[in-house]
Amino acid sequence: MSERLNRAFSEPAVGMTRLIMYVMAGDPDMETSVRRLSGLAESGVDVIELGIPFSDPMADGPVIQAAAERALAGGMNLTKTLEIVRTFRESYATPLLLMGYLNPLLQYGWERFVEDAVVAGVDGLIIPDLPWDESKGLRALTAELGGELLTFIPMIAQTSEREDIEALTAEEKGFAYVLSRNGITGGEVEIPATVLDFLKDLRQLKLPLCVGFGIRNPKQVQRLAPFVDGVVVGSALVDRLAALDAEGIDLNTMKEREQEIFQWVQSLKAGV
Amino acid sequence: MISTKVHDLLGHSEAPGRFGLFGGAYVPETLVPALRELEQAYREAQEDDGFRMEFRDLLLKYVGRPSLLYEATRLSEALGGARIFLKREDLNHTGAHKINNTLGQILLAKRMGKARVIAETGAGQHGVATATACALFGLSCVVYMGEEDVRRQHLNVLRMRLLGAEVRPVTLGSRTLKDAINEALRDWVTNVEDTFYCFGTAAGPHPYPTIVRDFQRVIGEETRAQALATMGRLPDALVACVGGGSNAIGFFHPFIEDAEVRLIGVEAGGKGDGSGDNAATLSLGQPGVLHGAYSYLLQDEDGQITMTHSVSAGLDYPGVGPEHSYLQETGRAEYVRISDEEAVDACELLARTEGILPALESAHAVAYAAKLAPELPTDQVIVVNLSGRGDKDVETLAAYLEGRGKS
Repeated sequence: MSERLNRAFSEPAVGMTRLIMYVMAGDPDMETSVRRLSGLAESGVDVIELGIPFSDPMADGPVIQAAAERALAGGMNLTKTLEIVRTFRESYATPLLLMGYLNPLLQYGWERFVEDAVVAGVDGLIIPDLPWDESKGLRALTAELGGELLTFIPMIAQTSEREDIEALTAEEKGFAYVLSRNGITGGEVEIPATVLDFLKDLRQLKLPLCVGFGIRNPKQVQRLAPFVDGVVVGSALVDRLAALDAEGIDLNTMKEREQEIFQWVQSLKAGV
Repeated sequence: MISTKVHDLLGHSEAPGRFGLFGGAYVPETLVPALRELEQAYREAQEDDGFRMEFRDLLLKYVGRPSLLYEATRLSEALGGARIFLKREDLNHTGAHKINNTLGQILLAKRMGKARVIAETGAGQHGVATATACALFGLSCVVYMGEEDVRRQHLNVLRMRLLGAEVRPVTLGSRTLKDAINEALRDWVTNVEDTFYCFGTAAGPHPYPTIVRDFQRVIGEETRAQALATMGRLPDALVACVGGGSNAIGFFHPFIEDAEVRLIGVEAGGKGDGSGDNAATLSLGQPGVLHGAYSYLLQDEDGQITMTHSVSAGLDYPGVGPEHSYLQETGRAEYVRISDEEAVDACELLARTEGILPALESAHAVAYAAKLAPELPTDQVIVVNLSGRGDKDVETLAAYLEGRGKS
């Protein structure tokens, strides 16, 4: 595991819990992406998830689907996504995970990808269509080529079976990404008691737990915070940024309005 | 580019469901237990005489099997060369081979206690077949269909609604079969506890390619028995269209060990070989992962799935079943392509020589047989899988013919 990612979870959380924020690379363009990643880092976000756009994102809801479409329309690809990471890394040490579907990574060439991602300063990977069962070979190759600097973040679903959960949390470092419900990204989750029970049960595992899917307000974070090591917020941020982009405002006004969004980001874990 | 090393890694995963190096189950973690449950239920059903008899009984008494192996004498005479036979899947109840698979899967759904069924459809034939099977067993049915396909296969939309299914048009992406599968997968991942996904083709994550193939194998098994009974020998070549590839794999599979029988899959050549102009995945694609399986795909150099085109909605798909990728790689089957123009011509040819109007999908196979037959001696036998009937395509055909000033 990279020192950056290790530090994010070994040091105590600031605020209610750790905050992981997702944005789509190249939505709407590279320059804006770099500026917004910087803003997130300066807002005290603990980990950044940077989405790699894919034409057929089967685990994503309408908000992230639309973001991927905008990014692809702007010519975004994995090469440029890694350029965004490189530029961001020149100034910031916030751990950064790439989240993307398997096919674009495969076509880039896995060996080349691992090498380039480590050099660019990527700390880990979240691949929603690569379940634990299927990932063994690629994980081994990644560890061999990447000197263990790229951490595979395993996902735990509400439907996951106990022995799978134990297997996927036994080997991995970083954290486990726990899905708040069955379904796709976005929407809003009323956190039911059963989810809290599910999380309590997972607490026996040695891996830190971060919960995502449908998290979009400080109240939800407050309810989850005692049971988790972090929360993931994606669609709610992407939605706000997209609304801003749709306004057609000039750059200075844009930057001011982005600050309002970053204040909302800070409020997510600061408390109600 | 996928290196040989990574290609081998993907194929040699300890997870089951490989055809050579292709296949697998590349799905969100939420679906992993559901796919295992499906595999388990399927294995148990296969061992259960009661299940096998119920399935067989439905094929006999409800679908109207066995379907005819018909010698198309006038077509053969018109072309010269080899004798052409048609395996008449178009005569099945609902008008295509799709019903074989949906009845099998709906029996599984019933066995698993799932009350809600979802499906995707391209041409609408799988949607109609699923709606039919759900009506027969009293299950609720939602069918996802790309908006473009809703338009061009309007008659099938009406049929599904009459059968009590809810048709949900998909307005994302290319608005065709690919996007319908994406939306069906999103529905399944959300409602996985009570929902059975009735997958329409021999693609998708394991165990679907195996389940769909096994339920469609009846096509090839009957063809084999009928050929032996009427001619005393096996055919020299089998020809079937390939979109996802379910009719072709069910047709080919019982002949795989018979090395002397050529297996020919016909893909949609569309308007030409340029990107976006066709749906010829095996001929023009590269291996990759889409809809849960490692198989050939039409994609750009960044691994984004490209737009496809075919005059036939059922072939308009950028992926293909993993077993076809394997059969291509081993050389056991050959894959060729037929253009929109040739397929439309084949519809007219078959209609006028035999009085049979084929589905545009199946017309691709007819068109290739029409090219192949004149090259072969008259004692050779070609069997074309006539996977569906053409009623659904009448409007598309009329518009196409009008477009080129022939009608």
